[in-house]
Amino acid sequence: MIVNKAAIKSLASLLFLSILLMYASCSRTAGEMANSDGRMNIVTTTGMIEDIVKNIVQDSADVISLMGPGVDPHLYKATQGDLKRLKDASLIFYNGLHLEGKLGDIFKNLGKIKLVMAVSDDIPRERLINNTTMGGQYDPHIWFDVSLWKEAATYVSQSLIKNDSINGPYYAQNTATYLLKLDSLHAYVKQKITEIPQDQRIMVTAHDAFEYFGQAYNIRVEALQGISTMSEFGSRDVVDLVNFITEKKIKAVFVESSVPEKYIRSVVEGCRKKGHEVIIGGTLYSDAMGNKGTPAGSYIGMVRTNVNTIVNALK
Amino acid sequence: MDAFWIILTGSFVSISCGLLGSYLILRRMAMVGDAISHAVLPGIVIAFLISGQRDSITMLIGAGVLGVLTTFLIEFLHKRGNLQTDASIGVTFTWLFALGIILISAYAGQVDLDQDCVLHGEIAYVPIDLWITSTGKIIGPRAVFITGSVLIIIISFIIIGYKELFLTTFDPAFAAAIDISTAMWHYLLMGAVSLATVASFESVGAILVVALLIAPPATAYLLTEKFLFMLILTAFLGIFISVTGYYLAVSIDGSIAGAMSTIAGLLFALAFLFSPKEGIIITWLKNRIIKKELSESF
Repeated sequence: MIVNKAAIKSLASLLFLSILLMYASCSRTAGEMANSDGRMNIVTTTGMIEDIVKNIVQDSADVISLMGPGVDPHLYKATQGDLKRLKDASLIFYNGLHLEGKLGDIFKNLGKIKLVMAVSDDIPRERLINNTTMGGQYDPHIWFDVSLWKEAATYVSQSLIKNDSINGPYYAQNTATYLLKLDSLHAYVKQKITEIPQDQRIMVTAHDAFEYFGQAYNIRVEALQGISTMSEFGSRDVVDLVNFITEKKIKAVFVESSVPEKYIRSVVEGCRKKGHEVIIGGTLYSDAMGNKGTPAGSYIGMVRTNVNTIVNALK
Repeated sequence: MDAFWIILTGSFVSISCGLLGSYLILRRMAMVGDAISHAVLPGIVIAFLISGQRDSITMLIGAGVLGVLTTFLIEFLHKRGNLQTDASIGVTFTWLFALGIILISAYAGQVDLDQDCVLHGEIAYVPIDLWITSTGKIIGPRAVFITGSVLIIIISFIIIGYKELFLTTFDPAFAAAIDISTAMWHYLLMGAVSLATVASFESVGAILVVALLIAPPATAYLLTEKFLFMLILTAFLGIFISVTGYYLAVSIDGSIAGAMSTIAGLLFALAFLFSPKEGIIITWLKNRIIKKELSESF
C-alpha cells in the first residue's frame, strides 16, 4: 500500500498545519477597537436609528448606517467595508428583537467588550407585541409606533450622554428638541387617522410589518403574509382576504417597497371578480426609509409619507 | 489581522469541503451540499418550536440533526428504493424543505425563521464574531475554532479510513469482497459531509460552502488522474481561492463569499480550457497536430 502511506504522510502534514494555525490563532488577541481621535464614531444598522443619532449629535460625531435606503434588514449582507466600519466604531446601535438576524447575536456577544446597544432594550417588554405562543419572540418593527420610537430615542440619548461627557449638555438639548418633534409627529398621526371614517379604518398590506402602527393609532391591520417572508401564503389566505375586503367594502390596499407587488395584485384581481373595485393605495415604507433628500428620507418624513398615503387612499 | 482571520477561516472551510467534495463528485453525489442547505429548514423550525429560542447553538443542533437525516434518507432511497442518487437527492431535499415551509406557515408564521436569518453566517463577520469568556477575555474568532475543529475531524477521518473510503468509492464490489462494509463507510462519509457543511453554513454562509464543495475538486479532477494528488491539489486550490478571493473582495468592496466563489469558478474554467489531460484547447491542438501529421503522411 504505497499510495496509502503517501496519503497518510501528506494528510498528516495538513492536519499538523491546521493544528499549528489554530494554535497561532489562540496566542493572538483581536485588535484594539477604540479609535484615537476625539470624535465619536457611531455606526447604526438601520436608517431609522441613524436618524435618531444624527438628530442628537448633529455635527459633533460621525454617524453611518450599514443598511442604506431600500435595504431589507432581513436580506442585508455585510461587505468588507462594513466590517471595517464596525471595527472602527466607538459606539454601535442596532434595533434588536431579531431584526438583524444573526448579526444581532454577534452584536449581543460583542457587547461584553465594546459599546454595542440595542435601541429596543429599554422598552418595557409588556409594550411589545408577541403574536406567537412562544415567550420572548417579539415583533421587531417598533418604529411604526412613534411613542415606542421615542423610548428608543431616549435610550440612545442616555447612552450617548454617558459616553461623551464633553458634548453631553449639547446632546441633552438636541434630544429635547427631537423628542418634542416626535411628540408632535405622534399627535399628527393620531389626528390624521381620525380623518378616515371609523368603519374604513382597516389597512391591508402584503407582509405583517404594521402591527405596532395599528395598535398605536387604532387602525386594524390585515396582512397576506406573516412576519417571516418564508411563510408563503396559501390560496385560502387570498380567498379569505378577498372575502374580507369585499365584505367590509375596503377602498384600497397597500404595497410595500420590500415585498413583490404581484402578491397583493392577486388580491385586487380576486376582489374585481367578486364585483368589488379595490385600488392599490400606494407604496408604504416598511423596513427601510426612502432615499436621502426625498421626503421619506428621514424618520419623521417616512412616517408622514406613510400616513398621508394611507389616509388619502382610505378617506 | 481581519484579513488573516477571514483567509484562515476560508482556508479551513475550503480544505474540509474540498476533501469531502472529492469523494462526493466521484460518487456522483456532488449536489448533496446544496440539498443539505435546503433540507435543514424543518430542523431549524422544530428546534425553535421545542426551545422557543433562535440563538446559534439551538439552530445548529436542529440543523445538524436534519443534515445527518438528509444524507441517510438519500442513501436509504438510493439503496432500498433502487433510485438513482440524483433522483433520491432531489426527492429528499425538496420534500424536507417543503415540510419546513409548512411547519413555518402552520406554527411560526409570526417570527422570522429561515436559514438565511438564523443559521447562515457571513464570512465577513468572522473577525467580529468573537469567542469572549464571561470575564471579558477575548479568545479569538468563534468561526476559526469551529471550522478548525471540523477540519481536524475531517482530516483524521480521511487518514484513518483512507483505504476503505478509496475502495468503496472506486470499486465497491471489490471492497465488499474483502469484507469492507460499503454501507457503513458511505454513512460515515455522509455523516462527515453533514457535519462539515452544517458547521460551515453557520460560520461562512451557504453559497460559499456549496461552491467549495464542488468547484475545487472538479478542477483538480480535470488536472490529475491520481486520486491522492486530486485530494492534495484540492486542498491547495482551496487555500489559493481563499487568499485571492479575499483580496478581490477588498479591491471591489464587495461580498467576500461571492468573490471567493467567483475565483473558484474561474479556476475551474481555466482548467477546463487548458488542462493537459482533457482541456478543450489542448485537445484541439492535439487534434490539429494529429490531422497535420496524417495529411503529411499521405
